[in-house]
Amino acid sequence: MSEDLTRRDLFGTVARGTVLAVLGGGAGFLVKKANGQIVWQVNASRCINSRLGDAGAEACSLCTTECVVALSAVRAVNEYSKCGRCNICPAYFNITSAVNELGQPSEKLCPRDAIVRKAIGKVDPEDPANNFYEYIIDEEKCDGCGKCVMKCKEPLGLGSITLRVRYDRCVNCNYCSILKACPQNALMQLPIEQALEPAQVNRAG
Amino acid sequence: MPHPRMRVRGGELGKLKHAPPWVIVALLVLLPGAVRSAPAQALPYQRPVDTAPQADSIGGGYKTPPVQKPLPRDYWLQIVDVVALAAAMGISVWLVLRRRSRRWLTALSIGCLAYFGFYREGCICPIGSLQNVVVALTDPKYSIPMVVTATFVLPLAAALFFGRAFCGGVCALGAIQELVALKPVQVPRRLDWALGLLKYVYLGLAVLFAVKPALVRDFLICRFDPFVGFFRRTGAPHMLMLGGGFLVAGMFVGRPYCRYLCPYGVLLAWCTRLARRGVTITPDKELDCGLCAGACPYGAIEKMRAVRRNCMYCARCYASCPRDGELAHAKAGLAQVSGAAS
Repeated sequence: MSEDLTRRDLFGTVARGTVLAVLGGGAGFLVKKANGQIVWQVNASRCINSRLGDAGAEACSLCTTECVVALSAVRAVNEYSKCGRCNICPAYFNITSAVNELGQPSEKLCPRDAIVRKAIGKVDPEDPANNFYEYIIDEEKCDGCGKCVMKCKEPLGLGSITLRVRYDRCVNCNYCSILKACPQNALMQLPIEQALEPAQVNRAG
Repeated sequence: MPHPRMRVRGGELGKLKHAPPWVIVALLVLLPGAVRSAPAQALPYQRPVDTAPQADSIGGGYKTPPVQKPLPRDYWLQIVDVVALAAAMGISVWLVLRRRSRRWLTALSIGCLAYFGFYREGCICPIGSLQNVVVALTDPKYSIPMVVTATFVLPLAAALFFGRAFCGGVCALGAIQELVALKPVQVPRRLDWALGLLKYVYLGLAVLFAVKPALVRDFLICRFDPFVGFFRRTGAPHMLMLGGGFLVAGMFVGRPYCRYLCPYGVLLAWCTRLARRGVTITPDKELDCGLCAGACPYGAIEKMRAVRRNCMYCARCYASCPRDGELAHAKAGLAQVSGAAS
C-alpha cells in the first residue's frame, strides 16, 4: 500500500515536472520572441473622414458606435502645427447655422462641445477676422464622431484634425471591433512608437 | 515690439477672384448676417489659410500647444496586474486549503471582480490570453508582451500544485457567476457530463480560429465573452442578453460558463489532475453525512471524495461541514464558559 502510494507520488512528481518544463519552455520561447508593444491605430489615409473633403457627406461615426469601451477610444486630434487657426473654423462652428451679432455662426458643430476656441494674442475689435484662434480639443469629452474631422478639410480647412486612438482608453482587443465594422479597413496594428507619430493623410489612397 | 500678425492688406473685391474657395464660401455664409446686423464697413475675411501659421509668424511669444497623446497603461502597472493575479491566487489557496473560509474567499472574489472585472474592464484575462499564446506560438510574425505570457502561465502553474485556485477566488467571470448562484441545483450526472463536452469543442474552435492566417483570424473567446459587456458597462445588445441569460441560468445552475464552456478551464482541469495538493474531503469515520456532496453545486464530490478537476475552489463543502461548524461552536462555548468562570 505504501509502496503503491510512493509510486503514485513519483509518477505525479514526474508528470508535474514535465508539464512545468513544457510551460516554462513555452513561456521562455514567447518571452524571447516578445518585441515591444503592438497597438491599434487609425490609418488616416484610409479613414474616409480624414480623406474626404466636405462633399456634403455625413461623417462616418462607426468609431463612436463600434468601440467596446463606453466612451470610444478613438477621438479627434488636432495636429496644432497644421492648424490654420481660422476665425471661423468650419470644425468648430456649424457654418450652415444663422450668423449672430458677432458675425459668427450661432451654432457649434461638436455635439459634445469638446472644442475650446481661444483667441491668440490681442483681438483687434475692428478686424477680428484676421486674428488667430487656437482650437483645443478636450479629449475627455471627444467620442470620435468625426464631424469636425470631416469639416476640417479643403476647401474650408487644412485637414489638421484626424481620428486617433487614445491609449488610456483602448483596451487593445485582439480584434478591434471598429475594424470589424469599418468599410475601409482603416485600423491597423503598429508598434507603439509608430502609432504615436502624427497621422499621415495620403489623399491618393 | 509691435504685435506681428500675419495679414493681407487691401480690400478690393477684385482680389476675391484669387482668394481660395473657402473665402467665398465663408463670405456667402457670413455676408447675409453681416449685412443685416453689422455696419457696411465690415472687413472681408482675408487671412489666407492655405498654409498653417507657425509659431514665428504668429509671434508674441506664442508656442504651439503639444498634441494630446495619451500613452497606454504604464508597463509597471501591467506588471502590477500580474503581481495582483499571483497574490490573489496565493490568498485563494491559503483561504481554501488552510483557513477553509468561504466567507473570506467570497470577499476575495468580490475584490478581484472589482479589480480585474470592473476596473480593468475584463482585459487582460488568462482565458482570452490562451488565444494570443496559441497565435504567438504558431505565427512567426506575432508576438505577445511578457505580461500576457505570465497571465497565461501563472494560473496553470498554480493548478499543478494546488488545483483551480484561479477559478475560485480570482477569475472575474467566475466571481460574477458565483455571486448570482442563489439556489444552485444538482445537475444530473449524465447531463453534466454531456454539457461538459461543449468546452472541449469550444477550445478546439478557439484554437482553430486563432491559428488561421492573420487576415482571417478571429478571437472567439473574446468575441463571445458573455460578461465583458457588464465589466465595460457597454456592449452589443445580443452579447448583453447572452450574459444576462448566463446570469439567470447561473442562479440555478452553478457557474454554467465555467463548467460547460470555459476553454481555459479545460487546461486548468488537466493541470489539476496532477495537483500535488488540492481540495480534499476526508470522510469522518463516525459522521458519514454527505452534506458536503449535497452542498457542492459543481458535482465535484463523488463517493465522498473531491473530484479535483471539477472543483471550483468555492469552499462550500467546508462551510457546510457540521464538523467544522461543531468545532467552531465548541470553541465559542468554551470561551464563554471560561469567560464566565474567570
